[in-house]
Amino acid sequence: MPLRLDGDDMIVGIKDATKLIGITIIACCAVLVCTMFLNFYLDILNIKDQIISPPVMAFYDAQVSTAFVVSSVSGGCLLMTSIVMLLFYIKHYINTHKKELGILKVIGYSNLTIAKDFWVFGLSVLIGTLIGYAGGHLLMPLFYGIQNEDKVLPEIAIHFHPGLFFCLIIIPSVFFAIISIFYSYRQLKKPVMTLMKDNDQQNVHISKHSQKNKNHSFLDELKSATLKSRKTLVFFIVFASFCFSSMTQMSARMPELSSFMMGAMILLIGITLACTTLFLAITTVINGNTKTIAMMRVFGYSQKQCCHALLGGYRPLTYIGFIIGTFYQYALIKIMVNIVFKDIVGVPEVHFDFISMIISFIAFVIIYELIMYVYAEKINKISIKEIMIE
Amino acid sequence: MIEVKNLKKSYGNKDNVFPVLKGIDLKIHTGDFVVILGASGSGKSTLLNVISGLEKPDEGHIYYDQTDITTLSDIQLTDFRKKYIGFIFQQYYLLPHLNVDKNVKMGADLISNKDYHKIIKAVGLENKCNKFPGELSGGEQQRVSVARALAKKPEVLFLDEPTGALDEEMGRKLLNYISQLQKEYVFTIVMVTHNQNIAEMANTVIKMNSGKISDIYTNAYTKNAFEIGW
Repeated sequence: MPLRLDGDDMIVGIKDATKLIGITIIACCAVLVCTMFLNFYLDILNIKDQIISPPVMAFYDAQVSTAFVVSSVSGGCLLMTSIVMLLFYIKHYINTHKKELGILKVIGYSNLTIAKDFWVFGLSVLIGTLIGYAGGHLLMPLFYGIQNEDKVLPEIAIHFHPGLFFCLIIIPSVFFAIISIFYSYRQLKKPVMTLMKDNDQQNVHISKHSQKNKNHSFLDELKSATLKSRKTLVFFIVFASFCFSSMTQMSARMPELSSFMMGAMILLIGITLACTTLFLAITTVINGNTKTIAMMRVFGYSQKQCCHALLGGYRPLTYIGFIIGTFYQYALIKIMVNIVFKDIVGVPEVHFDFISMIISFIAFVIIYELIMYVYAEKINKISIKEIMIE
Repeated sequence: MIEVKNLKKSYGNKDNVFPVLKGIDLKIHTGDFVVILGASGSGKSTLLNVISGLEKPDEGHIYYDQTDITTLSDIQLTDFRKKYIGFIFQQYYLLPHLNVDKNVKMGADLISNKDYHKIIKAVGLENKCNKFPGELSGGEQQRVSVARALAKKPEVLFLDEPTGALDEEMGRKLLNYISQLQKEYVFTIVMVTHNQNIAEMANTVIKMNSGKISDIYTNAYTKNAFEIGW
């Protein structure tokens, strides 16, 4: 980390902000979807006066509701995920750089002075939202073309809404920069000596009772402790499988309910979100346990045993995430069709799509196991020197 | 017996080679207490790491009885360490999310040692089994790492500056535990230290200087941890 040398040097560098690639990707996906649907929502409101027939008005209302619900649900969910990810990253950053930050506090820098530099984390959101916004506008002619294809409604033309630029790019970027400063300020409030102490010996929140009077093997105990020590990562891993499950299965229904393009978009976003979140979470697990892995290798534990102890516990959780995602997408589509489209003629009935679920599950297992294989190789490459270099 | 022949090890790259071990020959007898002494940069820790199979040498051979460990693959070396070697480092490297009992179990499970509580008792930590490393003093943490290393019943115990992070009282107590346990469990000790006084506890003392052995001698009379200077 670049230490502050004079007024121009940053405590947290722009390079550090680039590590928030997960947030950039999520922000990009969220703004891409919101740009298209909110722009469409604002444009479709303009044609309301041209509609006279009640059945067309019902269809119009359904289109308006769809645009609003899709942008609110996807935008809202992804916003929440981004916030959790940002807070997790800041906490992780402060934990891994606590000695340097402690030194700055010893020298005399105030918490606020240090925290102010965390605004750069907002840049990751700015980059993501800019890409998403540009992508949304690039896809918009295609999206509008599909919406205008059936000619039920009067022609909907693309208009530029400057307010959306402000709401989808400026506000989120500033909001995330402020959250970064505020949260890092709170995290930095710890006493200097707490920051300066050895990283490994702190923040142990394992219930003592959980390790008493149980005759589990060391590997099982380590697996359980790894899971319990970082609950946020458990959330991310469950969220990744949830995203994959819900969005891939939802995408399969889209050609029937909306359009092929919509299906492809949901599929792409689902896979991107799931893989990004999973990669980030597992990378954090491995990086946070480098010394444990090195020590296990020193003692003679094999690569397979290290993987089992550190990553094996997450597998059942991903299946739980997958099941939740399956029911979530089914319920969401059922609600959309039964409530939003209830007055529209010709909307297909929603049944549980068992085949889509099986295909999605097989794809998920293959992708998950491939990622695990990549990380098993990474574990194998961790040098025993890791524990000798301190 | 461990036999080391013409051991060489360098660090750096093609343009900037820094030789650390410059041809080491030595023999360590089973059950011996060996201390390797030397100043910083003399190559003592590298020698320990190479002899114990943590690092591979550039040249030379290391025989454990008939087995030359320099010819073993990474997987074979891992298996070798599992069966024969115990380690204690200056930094204790305990697993912070596991209590004392489970940390010691890390060693015990490798050889299905169900009797590992004896060793926890032997290092005086029987009342601290449910404590986490962060709740223990430095001396207690190092005693946990001793118990963890011995729970796998190694034939050779390697110690790299085990008292380096401890004060005199804690250091003496730790050395006393180790020498008592050696008598009880019978294993070879190879300890690296810069504290010359600890050499008085050893049967064999190896002095290192600039990557070479400058002197090897045996002590006719060995002192215990409370008799040596500090």
